[in-house]
Amino acid sequence: MEKTKITKFRWFWPWQDEVEENWLEKMSQKGYHLSSVRLPCFYKFLVAEPRDYVYRTDYQTFHKKDRQEYLQLFQDAGWEYIGELSTSQYFRKEAKQGETFEIFTDIESKIAKYKRILTYLGSFYLISIVAVGVPILTDVPYPWWGVIQVIIIFILLLFTYAIIRLVIRIRQLRKL
Amino acid sequence: MLALIEPLHGYAVMHKVEQISQGTVRVGPGTLYGVFDTLVAAGLIVMVKEENRRKSYKLTMKGKEVLLIQIKRLEIMTRKGLSATNRL
Repeated sequence: MEKTKITKFRWFWPWQDEVEENWLEKMSQKGYHLSSVRLPCFYKFLVAEPRDYVYRTDYQTFHKKDRQEYLQLFQDAGWEYIGELSTSQYFRKEAKQGETFEIFTDIESKIAKYKRILTYLGSFYLISIVAVGVPILTDVPYPWWGVIQVIIIFILLLFTYAIIRLVIRIRQLRKL
Repeated sequence: MLALIEPLHGYAVMHKVEQISQGTVRVGPGTLYGVFDTLVAAGLIVMVKEENRRKSYKLTMKGKEVLLIQIKRLEIMTRKGLSATNRL
């Protein structure tokens, strides 16, 4: 039988990881199982029998060798690796009794997860500021300067919002 | 850290932690991956072997000292805690 796939376009902010995990779990319960994720935010699903899966995501950037160790550790703990989207790593496990479903078992490591994405966003943020700032300071505009400026400022605003929300999320976790 | 008195790789550590704690403590892979990084950076554990994409770690001398101090501290706290609850 031909395996059918459907693609969905859906945006999740980096602090909405649990909302995203929930959505993926609901999709699996309807028989749509995540098979890959593509930029900017395309989710590919394989159509099959409904199943109870637990989905978990992590934010990680690493070298090839570290990645192998990391993925092996998750595989040993019973997690199936689905793929990555930018820095997001997607895992799933079948929801069976007696299993552990949290990949982060303390608050500190959960906070560390958000801090990793914060660092990642922060470095892009600095690059964008330099990209806008240097031409202003040196007064050497490049072609399409106006358009580029508007785009970069728009991106900077989005980043500012994302960073503020992530900091709020970290504070919430600290209070637990 | 107690689990790393002998060299172990990630999954074996998760298993041993659950065993030693009699099922009361479970460590997820995401947490453990970060713990290895932190402990290596602090010089408390060291990678001793790499096999089939699994790295094994072991306590360093400094790690053993820190572990002993920690156990001593916990022992005092448990002793005081028990004698306090006995009077309840």
